[in-house]
Parts: sequence; C-alpha cells; structure tokens
Amino acid sequence: MAAKTILEVKDLKTWFYTRRGIVKAVNGVSFTLDEGECLCLVGESGCGKSVTALSILRLFDSPPGKIVEGKVLYEGLDLTTCAMPLLRSIRGKDIAMVFQNAQSALNPVFTIGDQIEEQINTHMPHHDRNSRQKATALLEEMKIPEAAEALKMYPHQMSGGMKQRAMIAMGLSCDPRILIADEPTTAVDVTIRAQIIYILQELKARRNMSIIFITHDLSLVREIGDRAAVVYAGKVVEIAPVEHILNKPAHPYTIGLISCLPDISADLKRLPSIPGNTPNPIDIPSGCPFHPRCPSVMDICRTVEPEMLNISGVQIAACHLYDANVTGKR
Amino acid sequence: MRNYIIKRLIYSIIIAWGILTITFILLRVGPTSPVDRYILNIAARGQDVESVKQAIEARYGLNKPITEQYFSYMANLLQGNWGWSFSASMPVLELIGSHWIYSFQLILLATIFAIILGVGLGMLAAVKQNTKFDYAASIFSFIGISIPGFWLGLMLILVFAVYLGVFKTYYDTNYPIWSLENLKQLILPVMALGIGELAGYVRYTRSAMLDNLRKEFVTTARAKGLPERTVIGKHVLRNAILPLVTIIMFDLGSVVFGGAYLTEIVFGIPGLGQVSFNAIFANDYAVVVAVTLIGTFLVLFINLATDLLYTYLDPRIRYE
Amino acid sequence: MSEEKISRRGMIKKPVYINRRLVRYYWDRLKKNKLSLAGLGFIVFLALLGIFGPFLAADPQHVDFDIKNLPPLGFSTQESIYDIKTNTFATTVNPGRPDHPLGTDSKGRDMLSMLISGSRISLLVGLLATGIALFLGTFLGVLSAYLGGWADNLLMRFTDVMMTFPFFLLLVLIVFIFGPSLTIIVIVIGLTGWTGAARLIRSEALSLRTRDFITASKALGASDNRIIFNHLIPNVASLIIVMATLSIPGVIMAEAALSFIGMGDPMSTSWGTILNTGQHSLDTAWWVAVEPGIMLFLTVLSFNFFGDGLRDAFDPKASV
Repeated sequence: MAAKTILEVKDLKTWFYTRRGIVKAVNGVSFTLDEGECLCLVGESGCGKSVTALSILRLFDSPPGKIVEGKVLYEGLDLTTCAMPLLRSIRGKDIAMVFQNAQSALNPVFTIGDQIEEQINTHMPHHDRNSRQKATALLEEMKIPEAAEALKMYPHQMSGGMKQRAMIAMGLSCDPRILIADEPTTAVDVTIRAQIIYILQELKARRNMSIIFITHDLSLVREIGDRAAVVYAGKVVEIAPVEHILNKPAHPYTIGLISCLPDISADLKRLPSIPGNTPNPIDIPSGCPFHPRCPSVMDICRTVEPEMLNISGVQIAACHLYDANVTGKR
Repeated sequence: MRNYIIKRLIYSIIIAWGILTITFILLRVGPTSPVDRYILNIAARGQDVESVKQAIEARYGLNKPITEQYFSYMANLLQGNWGWSFSASMPVLELIGSHWIYSFQLILLATIFAIILGVGLGMLAAVKQNTKFDYAASIFSFIGISIPGFWLGLMLILVFAVYLGVFKTYYDTNYPIWSLENLKQLILPVMALGIGELAGYVRYTRSAMLDNLRKEFVTTARAKGLPERTVIGKHVLRNAILPLVTIIMFDLGSVVFGGAYLTEIVFGIPGLGQVSFNAIFANDYAVVVAVTLIGTFLVLFINLATDLLYTYLDPRIRYE
Repeated sequence: MSEEKISRRGMIKKPVYINRRLVRYYWDRLKKNKLSLAGLGFIVFLALLGIFGPFLAADPQHVDFDIKNLPPLGFSTQESIYDIKTNTFATTVNPGRPDHPLGTDSKGRDMLSMLISGSRISLLVGLLATGIALFLGTFLGVLSAYLGGWADNLLMRFTDVMMTFPFFLLLVLIVFIFGPSLTIIVIVIGLTGWTGAARLIRSEALSLRTRDFITASKALGASDNRIIFNHLIPNVASLIIVMATLSIPGVIMAEAALSFIGMGDPMSTSWGTILNTGQHSLDTAWWVAVEPGIMLFLTVLSFNFFGDGLRDAFDPKASV
C-alpha cells in the first residue's frame, strides 16, 4: 500500500507486577497502522488487546504495570519513553481514545459539555470562545438531537447510546489523527451498535482518520476493518487484510475463531468452540502459547516460539506450520 | 425542591420538640429543685429557708403540676422567652448570648484546621499510596483517632504550658475575641479538639480518593491529555468529596456535642459546654433545655445543609 | 440428618454448628495483619489484668498522705524547703520506690493498683454497654427491615430523634439525675448507643432481603422466624462482630470522659477518675495524668487496630 505509516508498535511488552506473580498482559505485540486505515485488534477477553491500547498512550496503572520492552512509534517519536508533558500533548490531541463503557468512563459529576470543552481548552487554548460551538457541532455530527441541550446534561441523564456517542464526540474534539476505540459497541444494544459503526465508517472516510478498533466480535471486523490483527495471550498471532482473515485464515487460532462464527445455513447440533481455556497470563505456556489448544500441534510448538512469517505478502502469521524449515514443504 | 426543604424543616421542628420534651421531663422529675443552689445563700444568712423557697417557687410557677409547667414553658418559648437562669440570675438568652462566642470560635477554628490539613494529607497519602509517606499518614491517623481529646488537651497543657511555659494553663477571657493573644491561647484547645477530627479526615479522604483513583473516568481524563493536577484535583477530588461531605458534617455534630464540651472544661473556656454542665449540676433546667435545643437545631441544620450541598455536588441526586 | 437431633417435642433441633474451616480461614487472614494481632495481644493482656490483677494488687482506694506524689520508679522529684534557722533552701530528692513502681497520686494511692482497677472497669463498661447497644441495634434493625411499612418508618424516625440527641449531654444529665453508678453508666450508654448499629443492620438486612437466596427460602415456604434467625442474622454476624470491636473504644472513651468530669462511680477507680485527680496536679505529679491516659490510648488503639483487621478479614473483597 502506498499510504504512509503513522503508528508503529514494535515488540511491545507490558507486564503487571502483582503479588501473585508477573501478569504478562501484553507480551510482544507488533503492528503498523497506516494513515486513513482501520486496524482491528481481535481476540478473546483477557488476551491483552485492551492493555495494548492503553499501553500506546501509557494509560495503564503504574505501578503495578510497566512497559518492559518495545516501542510505540508515532511519526517516529517513541511514546514509551518520551517525556510526560510531550505525551500529554499527544493524548487526546493526536491520538484519542474511546472506551468500552461510557457509563463509567464519563465523569458522573460534570456535564457532557464540560467534559468535551475541557479537552478542547486543554489542547487549543486560543479556541476558548469557540469551544462551546465546537462541542455543539461535534454532538450534531454524532447525530445527537438537540445538541445544545445535550451539552448541559449529566451522563446519567442520557441513554446508553447517547453516552457512547458523546464519548466518541469527546474523542474527536481535537481532530485526532488516530482514534483508538476499545470495544465501543459492547455495552450498547444492536441498533445503537449499527449507528456507531456507521458513524465511525463515515468519520474515517471524511476525515482520513486512522482507527484502531478493538473488538471480540468478528462480524464487526467485517463491517469496519481494513486489516485485522489477531491477539492471543498477549501476542499478535496473525495480521492480514480482513478478507484474508475471514476467508482464508492461516493461524490455527484464527481458523478456530472463524469456525466459531455461527453459520445460519449450516445445520448444527452444537455451536463449535475452541477446546481449552485462554492461558493464565501469569503462566503462559512455553513455545507457542496456543499449543495446548492447537489441533495441528507439533513437537516443536511446545518448545520453540514461532516467529512472524510472511504467508502471502499481506498476510503474516506466527505459526510453525508455515515454516519451511520445520515442515520441510514449500 | 422547595417542598422538600419545607418538609425537612417541619420534620426538624418535630424532632427538636421531641428532644426538648424528653430533656424537660428528665430535668423536672429529678430529685433536686432549681432553687436549691439559690437558697443556699439565704440559708447562710440565717433566714427562713422554707418560706423563701416557697415564695420563689410560687413566683416562677415551679409549684404547679409538671404538665402545667411544661405548657407554660412551651408557650413562653414560642413567644421567644427562653426562661430564667437561677444559677446565673439572668435571662437564659442573655446567658447564652454572652457565652456562645467562646464555643463558636473554638469549634470553627478546630473544624477549619481539621478539614484543611486532614483532606490535604489524605489526598497526598492516596496519591502516594504505599509509600513511606502513606504509611506515616496511616499510623498518624490511627494514633489521632485513638487518642482521647481531653487527655491530649491535658498533655498539651503539661508540655507546652507547665514545662515549656509557652502558653498559659488557663483560658483568659480578658483578651478581646479578635485579638492576637486570644488566637494564641486558642492554639492548644484547637489542637486538642482538632487532631482527632483531622486524623479521621485523613483516613476517610485517603480511602475516598483511592476508591475513585481506580475508576475508569480517571483513565478517560488522562487519555484526554489533562495535566495530572487537573485529573486529581478536579476529576478525582470532585467525586471523592461526596462521601466526605457526609462524614465531615456528621462529625461536626459530634464535635459540637462531645469534644468541644470536654475541651472547654480542660482548658477552662467559658463556652456553652461549661455553661450547660454548670446548669446540669445546679438543676437549672431552663438553661439545659435551651442549650440542648440550640445544639439540636444546629445538628438538624447541619443535616439539612448536608443534603442540600449534596444535591449541588452530586447531580445524580434529586430530592422530591 | 445425623447431625440433627429430634427433640422431645418431635421437632428437629439443630445443634449450634460452627464452621471450623471458615473460622480457620478468617483467622489466617487476620494473622497476616500484624498491627491487628498486636491489638488483640494487648486486649488479651488487658483482659487478664482486669480479671486477675485486682486480686494481686493493693487496694486502689487506700489513702496514705505520707507517701503522696511519689514519682514512678526511675524518676525523682525535688522538694525545696526554706529553712528559717540556716536561711537556706534545703533540697530533698524523692526517688521512685519499688513498692510503688508507677508512683502515687496526691492522696498517696498506688498508681499501679489504680490502673489495674481501671482496666477492669473500662473493659467491663466497654463490653457490657456495647453488648446492650448492639443487641438492641441488631434487634431493632432487623425488625425494622423485616417489618417494613409504617413500623419501619416509625422505628427509623425514632432512631433519628435518638441520633440527633446530644449524646454526651444526655449522658451527663441522666447520670446526674439517677446518681453516678457503674450500672447506670452502662445502661445509659447501652440504651443510647444503638442507633448507628440499628441503621447499618437495617440497610444490610434490606439489601439481603432482596437477594436470591432469601427469595428462594421464601419460595420453599420458610417462616419469617426461620428467615430472620437462619439467614438474616448469620449474614450480618460478621458485620456485628466488626461493629462491636469498633464501638467498644467509643464507649470506653465516654466512660473515661464521664469519670474525668467527676461523674464517675465514686465507689470504683477508673482511668477517667485518676485523670480527674491528675488534672489538678499537672505541675506537681505529671505521672498521675500521663499513666491512665497512656492506658486509655493503648486500649482504644488496640481495639481500633483489631477491629480494622477483623473488618478486612471478613471482607471478601479486601486483599490481606
């Protein structure tokens, strides 16, 4: 692709030092994000996709959390090591976040208007007088009726969908270049979900904004994503354009995920599922973390961690099955 | 909202009336008469005690049945007549008027001292959770909560007044209220009264801050790129203050009724606490009822103020 | 069925069953909190002192003016007496004596014996009054929650009145009217101190009432009594234990304060009584005011530490 890479995450490791042991929530995540692209981070709950998102802006609780390795390069600037004031000027301005649960992510004692304007005033001090107008315009863009009135409302006075849209409006208030959306549709019902996805698609097209969309729902990936990264046990196991992921997945874990998608045409007695449980992030299996659950497990999988292998130019997966040295094929 | 306030006011009046009645009955069925103390002087002068006593009792209506006394007291009270203090030989209102300021200045200063230092230290301890400062603050607050205020007062007198001689051992009423000397002699009483409160506030503030520091909206605030001082001082504090308001206001009630009285006695401050204790010992019922009533109204007023403050601070709460 | 016995009336009688494993689990959690253990240790020491001490110690009320104001062992006082004949100051040094290791007060009473007597009084008052208050509070709280409707409303309004009542003033008033005796003090503190417990237990029981397991047993046809005694009470038991531990220090302080202002039982020696004596001899015998205060402080601190540890041990959400 010709588009310029805007964000690059390189071998990121975020560990939490708890009393019960080291929780390796993010354990070697790498991906790139192009301008105007929507990258989906897909995985089961607890696989580390949310912590990855938080790590980009260093928003996890520290202590106990710590980035032990890796880089997050935004336009060449390493966000994991840059000075706090610089990072703060990027948070909410260049890279904005939208959280899963608007109910708890919005401060209950301030009005929506206060919370949006606060962000505008922080990053664009000379826009003071316009901040209210700008906030109104944002809510209108989010298709919230009577935007000027909605600004005066407290979160508890809004419906779930309105809150989530207000949350997105807040994320967009400083015209960010990257929007990180952490499961923004999980806590809302289906009709609102469709609205939000529509809004995000429109935004991406109109503003040429990059989106990192975090979800466990593969049907959403199909609707919104350009590329998808599958995360398992704190690692990216496969990255590919969405069509590839959905139609010809490479990694056995991705294959498992796709086969779990319910198919209306198929006549099934039981819904298929991947056997076993997601690994405990304190005690990740040796070798390939997926090997205890993998249907095509080999001896080497138990000891040697697979590298990211180029499968078809745009599709990359971390699995020994595609390593010619291991299988002796190709 | 207005209906709510009116309802609460009516309710407050009923509670105050209940307390007034209980106090009145307790005092008037007691074994001693309000004039006992008064007639001691007369007895000393060799006059006929019994006839004088009867004359006084007749004059103030103390020989009538208790219900009649109660109703006439209530009638007087409603007309703004708070009765007559036998032990001080002046109208109750005048007695209270000349003493309330001593209690008020003590409670006001101690409360300000405790809130500012307590909330400040508690916030710091929460932000620096699990550091040495946090542990020190925690130990300090445990000690402060456990130390009896009146004993702390004695110890402060022992060290700073008796041994170091920095302060006087007793409160001097000759200084005007607004003088620097008066402020200086209030330092020890304010500490004795305030440290227990302060210690409690440190603890409550710390835990309220910690409760909110882990909330998701704090991450949101950080993700917006707000400076840490705004995140803590605005987003966290504004939420942590909600439970604190209740606790501080509730505490204020117990300071008014418990701690301040004892502090006044230890330091010899002639406030309402001392007035009411002296009145109890002299069975000067009008004074006791009046002081109890004032205190009750104060607490009820504080409760109402808390509720109203709460609607202002927490938009989720609306009273009907 | 093997554990249940059939009583004579043919009803199934359940033996008092203590889940040893659960007790063990709580104890293990409690053990991790060293401050809490230290508090428990001091409470046990105090209890032993209160139970057995008075049989071993001298009579705390024994007055001997010859040995008045003896300092504690290791300290000494100086006395300067002007000698008219030689026109000089003769300075005598009075060192502490081993037979009065903690010194004597201004009437020559042995401090150690008085402190031992005080520990008995404090614990006795603390336990008994808290017992009465918590029994009443639990009973009224559960009753209020369970009855609901107008009965609940009435009980809670009554609680409001009691809560607004100036507690300490009421205490002084009643003790003054009925005469200062330990029994009166215990009863009065017990009868006035139940309000907080009643409110807390009520709200806890209310939230339990809507929980599924209560609904389930109702659906199975369990009687009201059964639900209250088999489900509600055991579920608030840990709350009651914690509340007991944390309200004992308040009661002990109230008794001490009462004795301190001279309204204690004159027949017994409590820490507050000693403090009352010590207040007047701060300049000549500091230890009389210092020693009982330290005991009081350590006792209250121990109960606070222990209660805090208990609360964490009982709280499944707290990490210990």
